[in-house]
Amino acid sequence: MNEFLASLSKEDSLTYELSMLYKQWGYKEYRMAKFEEYSFYSDNRDFLSSKGILAFNNSDGRLMALKPDITLSIVKNAKLSGSLTKLYYNESVFRMTDSSMDYKEIKQTGVEILGSVDDYLVAEVLMLAAKSLKTIDKDFVLSISHMAFIPSLLSELEIGENAKKEIVDCVKSKNTHDLRTICEKCGVSGEKTELLASFAQISGKMDEAIPMLCALSCNDEMKKACSELEFICASLKKSPLADRLFIDLSVMNNIDYYNGIIFQGYVEKAPSAVLSGGRYDKLAGKLRENIQAIGFAVYLDNLNLYYKKKREYDSDILIVFDSAEQSVSLLSLVESFIEKGFSVRVEHSVPDGYRAKTTYMFENGALREVSSC
Amino acid sequence: MLNIALPKGRLGDKVYELFASIGYDCSEIYSDNRKLVFENKENGVRYLLVKPSDVAIYIAHGAADIGVVGKDILEEDSFDIYELLDLGLGKCNMCVAAPNDYVEDFDRPLRVATKFVNIAKNYYISLNREIEIIKLNGSIEIAPILGLSDVIVDIVESGKTLKENNLRVYEKIMPISARLIANKSSYKFKSADIDRLMEKLKKELAKNDKNN
Repeated sequence: MNEFLASLSKEDSLTYELSMLYKQWGYKEYRMAKFEEYSFYSDNRDFLSSKGILAFNNSDGRLMALKPDITLSIVKNAKLSGSLTKLYYNESVFRMTDSSMDYKEIKQTGVEILGSVDDYLVAEVLMLAAKSLKTIDKDFVLSISHMAFIPSLLSELEIGENAKKEIVDCVKSKNTHDLRTICEKCGVSGEKTELLASFAQISGKMDEAIPMLCALSCNDEMKKACSELEFICASLKKSPLADRLFIDLSVMNNIDYYNGIIFQGYVEKAPSAVLSGGRYDKLAGKLRENIQAIGFAVYLDNLNLYYKKKREYDSDILIVFDSAEQSVSLLSLVESFIEKGFSVRVEHSVPDGYRAKTTYMFENGALREVSSC
Repeated sequence: MLNIALPKGRLGDKVYELFASIGYDCSEIYSDNRKLVFENKENGVRYLLVKPSDVAIYIAHGAADIGVVGKDILEEDSFDIYELLDLGLGKCNMCVAAPNDYVEDFDRPLRVATKFVNIAKNYYISLNREIEIIKLNGSIEIAPILGLSDVIVDIVESGKTLKENNLRVYEKIMPISARLIANKSSYKFKSADIDRLMEKLKKELAKNDKNN
């Protein structure tokens, strides 16, 4: 099985390995319909990371969308069972890229939990996110944030929405110099400004950063979030992956949809986040009654680029035969090699640039080795 | 090894001098003008010299870990990067400039010539002023003189070029200076190296400020 996985591209092997991981943790596979009503996605457009939705009219004139987002589809359509529904998926979504403004097929895998989400489930999802990242690369970092800190502090400030957005942009880019300038311009007190700047800069392993965060907490919402983070830290402490989990409040998501824990995952060879997720009770509550939700997506589309697999050979064996010399024994010879575990290609001549460990000529009903590496 | 993207030209030279003064020198950088990559294994740095407008692109795609870029570039296009420090170098202003005798006509859309299309658009959206953008790639100052536009949006350093073309600063949009930026993923894995460099930079900048 390991040899088989090694022969696959990074994207294909990850699809298999991550599916196995999620199944082991009791998650069921969710299959998304290819086409769904456009109006549903346009109503929740702010939730989508890309604004471009691939839409078209179907035969009865209804405007349909081609797989813009999996989380929205799951929250709207998944059949709920009992108090918890745990799902995983391997799907492609179609989105407009920021750079070329063209539509692109993006392969994603991930998990979603719908139902009554408690602190244990948050810890379970973080554990699965960390394990997913480790499956991609042992050198990974999971950056964990909580929506209680920056948004609740911003809600206390009497400043305009544009200024709040500018402050959030500064926090996301750890830009404390412009953050201080904006706060000064808007008349934010020095104390609140420095608190925002401290939150933007806090970064460290969970057991080091959480006490710092708790010491800075100044309202009930933040204090409650600290208790949640402390529970999660204690739950994950014994895991060998705990060293890879960092607190970083510069990770932020849309305040209208997300609440609680949010996180992003990085691997050393990829320049941007390959995993993103969090708790989105606000979105789930908009679409279904009395439901909470948490989940994450792993972006597989660029991983083949960053984790190139060098293939030494196109096949183990290449057999070249002259079609004028038909022989009934060739097929059984090929099958016998395959049964022994070799990969075999049969050709009339050596294809240009083809690399085989061993090349045979099939002559007079027998094989003659012509080259071997 | 820290990969550092520097903008080619005057700003890049200033930034290199600053980095060299805090122990990240790479004497090879002076040896061959055609080379674009210079490495000092002892100091653990590799400098890449790139076009100023491309620095942020190299950083966003992870081709370099950190870099220095003007705030104008970061405001014009959005990049998913960390902006860690204002180096205070290359200080200037993004301004609206107009002919000395210009009087604004509010009855029609304003014709704005600029290479900073997004900065100009965002500025006039904030004023709720309807505009027509004329995108130019250089010699922007000539546009209002020839009647191609009413005003220009451009970087003003000393104001000498404006003066020589009978233009004046009409409105100031934002101050500009060089910023230290980092790739988000690189920062996660090389935070100790980057933070160490940042601390040294902060100390050196504070020292320079005091001396000035």
